[in-house]
Amino acid sequence: MRASRREFMTWVTASGISLSLSRLAAAQEPSFAARETLPGRNHWNPASGGLGRIDGSPKVTGAKLYASDFRAADMPGWPQTTSHALLVRAPDASRVYLGLDLARLDGPLKPTVVVTADDVTKANLTVPDFYAGDLFCPVGKTPLYLGQPLAMLIFDSFDAFDRARLAFRDGTLVQFGDETGPVEGENYGAFRFTRVAGPTPQSPDVYSPILAGWVSPGRMQHSPLPVWEPYARETSKPYGKAARYGEAIRAELTGTDPDLLVLDRRFETQSVDPMFLETESGLGWYDGRSRKLELVLGIQSPYEGAEAIATLLSKAKAAFKPKHIEADFAYMGGGFGGRDHTPFILYVTLAAIFFPGRPVRLAHDRFQQFQGGIKRHAFKMHTRIGISRKTGKITAFAADHVLDGGGLQNFSTNVATVAAAAAIGIYDIPKVDVTTVALHSRGVTAGSMRGYGTVQTMTALETLIDEAAAALPLDPIAFRRRNALAPDGRTMMGNRYTVSVRTLELLDKLEAHPIWTARAAEKARPKRDGIVVGTGVACVTKDYGTGADCSMGRIEIDPQGRISIACDQPEMGNGMGTALASRVAIHIGGLADEVALGQLDAFGALALVTSGNSYTMDQATQDAVEKNSRWVPAISSATAASNGAHVGTHAAAEAARVIFRFGLWPAALALWNIPATDHRAEQWAEARWQEGRLVFADLPPLSLPDLAAKAHAARLVTGAMTHCFSRWAFASATFPIQDKRYRAEADALAVRHGAGPFERVARVAVAFPPTSNNRIGTTFGAQCGTVVRVEIDRTSGAIRIAKAYSVVECGRALVPEVVRGQAQGGFAMGVGYTLLETLPLYEGGPGNGQWNLGQYVVARGSDLPLHDLEIELLPPVSADEPPKGIAEVVMIPVVPAILNAIFDATGHRFYSLPVTPTMLKGALA
Amino acid sequence: MTALVITINGRVHGPTEVRDDLTMNDFLREYLGMTGTKFGCGAAQCLSCAIIVDEPDGTSSTSPTCIVPAVSFNGKTIRTVEGHAKGDELSVLQKAFIHHFAFQCGYCTPGFLNEGQVLLERLARTPVARADVESTIAEALDGHLCRCTGYVKYHEAVRSVILAEPQRYLL
Repeated sequence: MRASRREFMTWVTASGISLSLSRLAAAQEPSFAARETLPGRNHWNPASGGLGRIDGSPKVTGAKLYASDFRAADMPGWPQTTSHALLVRAPDASRVYLGLDLARLDGPLKPTVVVTADDVTKANLTVPDFYAGDLFCPVGKTPLYLGQPLAMLIFDSFDAFDRARLAFRDGTLVQFGDETGPVEGENYGAFRFTRVAGPTPQSPDVYSPILAGWVSPGRMQHSPLPVWEPYARETSKPYGKAARYGEAIRAELTGTDPDLLVLDRRFETQSVDPMFLETESGLGWYDGRSRKLELVLGIQSPYEGAEAIATLLSKAKAAFKPKHIEADFAYMGGGFGGRDHTPFILYVTLAAIFFPGRPVRLAHDRFQQFQGGIKRHAFKMHTRIGISRKTGKITAFAADHVLDGGGLQNFSTNVATVAAAAAIGIYDIPKVDVTTVALHSRGVTAGSMRGYGTVQTMTALETLIDEAAAALPLDPIAFRRRNALAPDGRTMMGNRYTVSVRTLELLDKLEAHPIWTARAAEKARPKRDGIVVGTGVACVTKDYGTGADCSMGRIEIDPQGRISIACDQPEMGNGMGTALASRVAIHIGGLADEVALGQLDAFGALALVTSGNSYTMDQATQDAVEKNSRWVPAISSATAASNGAHVGTHAAAEAARVIFRFGLWPAALALWNIPATDHRAEQWAEARWQEGRLVFADLPPLSLPDLAAKAHAARLVTGAMTHCFSRWAFASATFPIQDKRYRAEADALAVRHGAGPFERVARVAVAFPPTSNNRIGTTFGAQCGTVVRVEIDRTSGAIRIAKAYSVVECGRALVPEVVRGQAQGGFAMGVGYTLLETLPLYEGGPGNGQWNLGQYVVARGSDLPLHDLEIELLPPVSADEPPKGIAEVVMIPVVPAILNAIFDATGHRFYSLPVTPTMLKGALA
Repeated sequence: MTALVITINGRVHGPTEVRDDLTMNDFLREYLGMTGTKFGCGAAQCLSCAIIVDEPDGTSSTSPTCIVPAVSFNGKTIRTVEGHAKGDELSVLQKAFIHHFAFQCGYCTPGFLNEGQVLLERLARTPVARADVESTIAEALDGHLCRCTGYVKYHEAVRSVILAEPQRYLL
């Protein structure tokens, strides 16, 4: 569910607010833009020669880079003094909120401004649809959820803020009255995904979500749980049909057929925190005289964030309504999904507009981050799987998922559907029926986090597969191979992948790895007393992208051949900037020395407009609106859903291709004295870059500076910007350039000739992916497999991961060391999720404001096999295979592989997370 | 209130009147604007806030700053991440961090850098056997949390510096 989009430019005008979404370089240095453009002209670029990341130097020298680094004095043109805001959150969500005991904050601790629900109402602020719910709990109501903001206190000085912050720590300044019990709410969404395959793999499906659409039950019980069955009472026709097929599948899984092995299992996963190291923070300054609001933010979703802020203020009373909003987006100290569509930025905005004239900083400390930050959904899963004892093939699968979404909807519905669509992992199962419902609760809001529901469902699946293999009995890898989805097979949604599916290669790698081949010998080998050994394996697939992803890329080359890149996607540590530079270099032969990320106002020349909701739009509407050559289905996406390499770099790559084709290539022809009429003039695809020089046929290699100088002198194309859009396939369009029709995987283009300005090139034809693709679960998938060896101490239950190996197929790895680093980090996060991390959902959980890293344990180096963690990247299937998104998939198999290794060591299967030493000790007693 | 005088990266700061319960982290970040030293947890659990304390006897150690009052550093000499490079010339360890792709988001990097530097200085005074290098690094860095990297490349970077100069760091 996304906030509905609107005709962007029209909307901005109608609301009376203009948006500027990143700062142009100011005369005074260092401006925010200069600090965030890396590595910067004439600075050492570690990415040259693959020696590091473009952000290497700033990150090892402590340069101001993150939103939490900036104060008013760091911002040219701002007042010098920073005020500080304290967001007070509810530690209780079952009693009436009576207010704050501010009398205890007297003297120097007295806040200058207190912002409450009443103030929000009086200012006539508009909560964006996506964040629906009271921004502050009104006095007299029970908080909607633990951690709901109650009020914001703003202090002139840091010392007053700091002392008040500590005074609030014990929660006694927040007053509650009568017990009411938690606030009940409707569920956030419920779906049923059912597929019945045809009699052969080539046959059309009998029923599938692709054929019939996604269906939801029309009836609810008195509780928020849906009525899934009996379908006979269901009046909603689309749902009833799915339910009939689904119930028939479940009837096959009752265990009455002796030829069918049926396993019926329940699995629970816990709530965890993304625990990015930089807590959420932001800086705002509302100049009441000029009515300009300036913000410094660090989020994964800059465009959405800016839209949300503009919506918040769109109908505000005059004193609170800026004429212009200028938002700067900084590097992030981690994200993992938890900074995607975060409501925190709304509170930064409130801090600024309720204290006009004074820059205000709002920053969580770690207690507050636990109390208010987005969490991973806790799942309860009930799964049934049927396997033919004769063939070892999985014949049917049914599952019911219940997610705890916490207090606000956020991405709960999306997480539920993505998780359900991943429920059968890498397998080909002809009959599948999965129901899912995301519930409201009084827990801290859950939303996007690495794995996005699939780490939960595929952990349940891959441990079940292991159990089934043991019961049949079959070798775990042979069983997986027997049931693996073929590259041209159909997913449980009924569609096929459009990218490589290399599960069998991964299984071969896992099977041949020494950790796996030596598993029996290691188990039998005498160890020191009391140590038991086990080996486990798992293999998964994870989608990348959301089904409506876009990016914008802008490339410029100066006469000396120096390259600048701007992109709308921000950097959260995933190597976005370095990947961009690397991908662009493939096409234009040089590594950028300026990469600016999180840029949204660098693309004005495209003059984009949008309307409708790209996820729900019908074909007729799309056909009509796409006739406007400026229209695109969506303007900018969050850096999320593992879309960085695949989508985030795509627009820049397309822009680079334009520069090469219409700038550097004709410049080369001129330098080689090849006339346009020569047949070789059309052989640009055969040219290649070699050590910074363009090589073609037996002609003398040409350097990038020479080509750039010629392109500028001849006023050829020296800059290009594009917008791209993917709905499980990239949109493509034809553009008239230099008397040619040029087709690009982009839907908007602007070019610059020589040193001239960018000028829009109106597309003459466009092919957007059909809106029916919105029924697809995914067509983009990356696979990853992991094998793990564990050693467990019988006496203490202490577990050590002795060795591990992960193999991942990632298409073309733009920066292999970044991919390996992601895999290593995903391994660590997987270990934490399996063995260490957990948050109680309600009372006693993080919503009470008392949680910190003393209680919440994440993996340290000593929890990992630092010198025995092997990562292998499969080479791409072809030289031009696009990069895949792997940031999430690399975490997922780690979890079930460890659980399967624990079973191998102990003979005990655990059906909930995390598995603690106490539990292991008990299992081994 | 205390009049705080402290030497940071070779430069004397103060005297500055500070509250006795002001943390060193807030003194650096809010009073001096030196935000290279990060705030991670406020509970001395992640050590992204760690700095180097130089003792008069020539030894060095790291200290968290998020729970330690600034006044406890009164009169002391410390180093922060901003002080490792000499002009534009990065330290050996800084270069190693870059070349090994040691970090991703980089927020924990100042703490790892300081800890790694202190380890190098300790090994220069008290070398260890080659067989103990990995465990020595693991022990030194284990207090530091990183959520992105899985720690592997941090360890590889520190190890590469040690092994590049065995005569300096190894027995």
